[in-house]
Amino acid sequence: MSTYARQTGSTVTLPASLDEAVAALAAMPTAVPVAGGTDLMAAVNSGLLRPAGLVGLGRISEIRGWQYADGHALLGAGLTHARMGRPDFAALIPALAAAARAAGPPQIRNAGTLGGNIASAAPTGDALPVLAALEANVILAGPDGSREVPVSHLLTGMDPLRPGELLAFVRAPLLHAPQVFLKATARTGPGRATASVALVLDPARRGVRCAVGAVAPMPLRPLEAERWVAGLIDWDGARTLDPQVCTAFGEYVAMACIPDPVDDPVNPVDPTGPAGGALPPAVAHLRRTVAALARRALGRALS
Amino acid sequence: MTAARGGREAAAGPDAVTALPTVAAPLGTGETERGLGVCVLPADAAAKTQGIFPYAADLWAEGLLWAAVLRSPHPHARIVSIDTTHAADMPGVRAVITHADVPGDAMHGRRVADRPVFAHDVVRHHGEPIAAVAADHPDTARLAAAAIIVEYEVLEPVTDPEKAFAAPPLHPDGNLIRHIPLRFGDPAATGEVVVEGVYRIGRQDPAPVGAEAGLAVPRPDGGVELYVASTDPHTDRDLAAACFGLETDRVKVVVTGVPGAMADREDPGFQLPLGLLALKTGHPVKLVATREESFLGHAHRHPALLRYRHHADAEGRLVKVEAQLLLDAGAYADASSDALAAAVAFAAGPYVVPHVFVEGWAVRTNNPPSGHVRGEGAMQVCAAYEGQMDKLAAKLGLDPAELRMRNVMATGDLLPTGQTVTCPAPVGELLKAVRDAELPPLPSADDETEWLLPGGLEGAGEPGAVRRGVGYALGMVHMLGAEGHDEVSTATVRVQNGTATVICSAVETGQGFATLARQIVQEVLGVDEVAVLPADTDQPPAGPSARGRHTWVSGGAVERAAKMVRTQLLQPLAAKFGMSVELLTIADGKITSYDGVLSTTVAETLHGKELWATAQCRPHPTEKLDENGQGDAFVGLAFAAIRAVVDVDIELGTIRVVDMAVAQDVGRVLNPRQVAARIEAGVTQGVGMALTEDLRTARGVVKRPSLTGYALPTALDAPRVRIVKLVEERDVVAPFGAKAVSAAPVVVSPAAVAAAVRAATGRPVGRLPIRPQTAVARQV
Repeated sequence: MSTYARQTGSTVTLPASLDEAVAALAAMPTAVPVAGGTDLMAAVNSGLLRPAGLVGLGRISEIRGWQYADGHALLGAGLTHARMGRPDFAALIPALAAAARAAGPPQIRNAGTLGGNIASAAPTGDALPVLAALEANVILAGPDGSREVPVSHLLTGMDPLRPGELLAFVRAPLLHAPQVFLKATARTGPGRATASVALVLDPARRGVRCAVGAVAPMPLRPLEAERWVAGLIDWDGARTLDPQVCTAFGEYVAMACIPDPVDDPVNPVDPTGPAGGALPPAVAHLRRTVAALARRALGRALS
Repeated sequence: MTAARGGREAAAGPDAVTALPTVAAPLGTGETERGLGVCVLPADAAAKTQGIFPYAADLWAEGLLWAAVLRSPHPHARIVSIDTTHAADMPGVRAVITHADVPGDAMHGRRVADRPVFAHDVVRHHGEPIAAVAADHPDTARLAAAAIIVEYEVLEPVTDPEKAFAAPPLHPDGNLIRHIPLRFGDPAATGEVVVEGVYRIGRQDPAPVGAEAGLAVPRPDGGVELYVASTDPHTDRDLAAACFGLETDRVKVVVTGVPGAMADREDPGFQLPLGLLALKTGHPVKLVATREESFLGHAHRHPALLRYRHHADAEGRLVKVEAQLLLDAGAYADASSDALAAAVAFAAGPYVVPHVFVEGWAVRTNNPPSGHVRGEGAMQVCAAYEGQMDKLAAKLGLDPAELRMRNVMATGDLLPTGQTVTCPAPVGELLKAVRDAELPPLPSADDETEWLLPGGLEGAGEPGAVRRGVGYALGMVHMLGAEGHDEVSTATVRVQNGTATVICSAVETGQGFATLARQIVQEVLGVDEVAVLPADTDQPPAGPSARGRHTWVSGGAVERAAKMVRTQLLQPLAAKFGMSVELLTIADGKITSYDGVLSTTVAETLHGKELWATAQCRPHPTEKLDENGQGDAFVGLAFAAIRAVVDVDIELGTIRVVDMAVAQDVGRVLNPRQVAARIEAGVTQGVGMALTEDLRTARGVVKRPSLTGYALPTALDAPRVRIVKLVEERDVVAPFGAKAVSAAPVVVSPAAVAAAVRAATGRPVGRLPIRPQTAVARQV
């Protein structure tokens, strides 16, 4: 007797449209949707996940491209990082294209998708800070129709994905202004971000929006620093800032994202020492990194 | 590379072979080349590049079962009970084994038998094997392994090697694995300038891309055959037979394709459960390690804590070196004793130092086990003594290269162990070569596209924040086993119908031995077609593939056997023409006499004959270091000098190694392409050690055992490796005068990168791998 057959008994469906996919998921609520599979299949292979069934999203052509809708781009969740990294897409949403190009080795970028990056919601997901800075929305298709949720609500768990729902589209604003995505990694080759910063200018709303990735479970928005620096920019003029302002902005962002542990009852460096105290060296370095990235990002966006 | 070729004809050793090709072929046209000194292509090159070369993970046998190993989640715990009933009852499970099912010796080890096959009373490191399962599907086997209920009484792990001395013994053998005090010269000597430093070396993993895999097939006679990527088949066989309770002739180890090898192929914790399961079930059993198991199972490089004090006179000449070396051996002894001997003996580096005082310890902890990784011991101290040389240069206001030049060792100088360096030691020449090599050009400001900044193509690097640093390092490593190991190898050469066959159990691990064996036979016998048979334990032993042994001992044995065949071949001809064998030469498949009267082909002479010869090569014996760390412990030494050029983003602390200029003492180049490839590989491994490779643990538990968490250098991280000089001064005691090339670049390159980062940032850099926070310029 072999136990071989029993274990391959899980079902795989390959719907050709979004409606079919939603129906397939409704028919088998324990099935897991899979697009590029770069995170999911690694978990399956290492035995961490044993899905009862899979709904493959690779054949749904409607979510593999993008379209325009009233000043926004409607990005299919099945867009691969490789596709987003190309120049035509970069002209549309430059920061997202930069994040897609930085998202790993070519094999991963060819398979991994925008929707997968959001669904995995890894702290180091490169697209996430960009979507947070863009204040993009996700469109979720479910058995009761579709609904639109800000990406930050999804990532923070304020409004999570409901059973039977599929991540279908991302609605991102077209800002027609400079955008920057910067990522610090431990090596020169592709690697996970130790910290990343996405910064976009929104001239219509006279805003600067910035999100810091990889330092917390979800991207962080330093709202006060954004408002402060937006108020200093001459939006109708040259849109330049003194380098010292950029430096101050960087430090403002870094302090907001990695605050001093003043309320910490235990000293993180020396548990027997006084409460609060200095940051551990690695965290202090992370704060310096965020400050440098934010300063460089603002400088590049305004240059 | 061609610059150093001049000495070849001049310095012919006692084993000098017949005529050498005068011009080496350019790289890339290896197919028609043969003999020594040219770029012969490895026989398996095409298969490996096409991905069709069979490795152990590709093995298959009809009706095979799959194995899985249950490993401890705790670094230190007492095992209260092991309940395998649930696992054994699962459908598809054929056998579950624990320590109670080991019929032979319960303990094993390469040097000291201190390691259980399966932990039974105490678990001493995270990932230690506790039980194994054989089932008809790999998933079933893993699920069954997970269903084994082990009750642990978790104990406090000892993870700080400094606390191991006073900690309660973790093992009946105690916590001190070895202590070597070295006393050389006058303890009262002092220098005018004194510098002190503390250096910490991280835990590098062999991280083989091809993880461990193997197949065990039971034999009708009650024995078992192990198809594994072994690098030392005979030792593995003896260990396995002892644990299986079988005579050694009942166990056969067949070496499969080896995807690179260091400590990762020396993990008996992998091979032993496999064989036990095959014996118990009577079925072939296959085990393929997951990436996580691979990281947890095999041994790593010894993490080290090194304290140094260097004394020098006002001119920068070294007076005294004092050092305390502490190696973290992990839970079991393994090769720690050897690593410590190398660390202590080379603690002062390739420099003349009249007074050296070293205390070296290797201690047991509950950290992952440490073992043989290229340049063990020598690499750790190189990072430290070269850090000290930089410190000394800064204190004296001298150029770091100049300070080193004033102290370099040469042939005839003494090691601190009292051993005279009798082999070529062209340290000064190597240093001069890298110092005088052209520096890579600085990128021009307006051409950012050409400049790969630290952090990568899509990284955050900013040219304005990047500083370039240049650093030097010199280092040395021993070849062959030290301290009295019997380094012997046996080889057989057979010639029939114009084809030669080499039978030698020296394992081709990618180091190029099979290619070298072909080259040697081609050279000696003038036969084009040479096959090197796969290694197994039915052949006579050749010893482990490590420390550059096979170029020396197995290459030597192949040469002797080939020469014996040559004599058999030429004797009848010589007798017929009334001349001695020495007057006949073989070249390009033709046999000619000195006067040109006789000329025939090898093929014609061989027609209808089958010639066999077996020979051994055993280098001169060595002795153990005594209670003062003195003794002639090493057979041979190899040296290298490297100049590293790095770019550092001094705000983010990101580092990119731009260029590594290497000058190495190679004795003689036997295959230029292979030498270049080995140096490039070694430098890349060294760059990984310097920048990213560190298997981190938290209280003994390995954190992130994956290739995402453990960052190996990628193609973008690997620097340009320029071999600026290969010094070919023949080592007269080595066969062909050749020295092993693989280990020296691994030993020296981390120290060179650290020196360059020091130059770029002004920071001391006392820890490897270099963390970004220690490579940012100091805040003002």
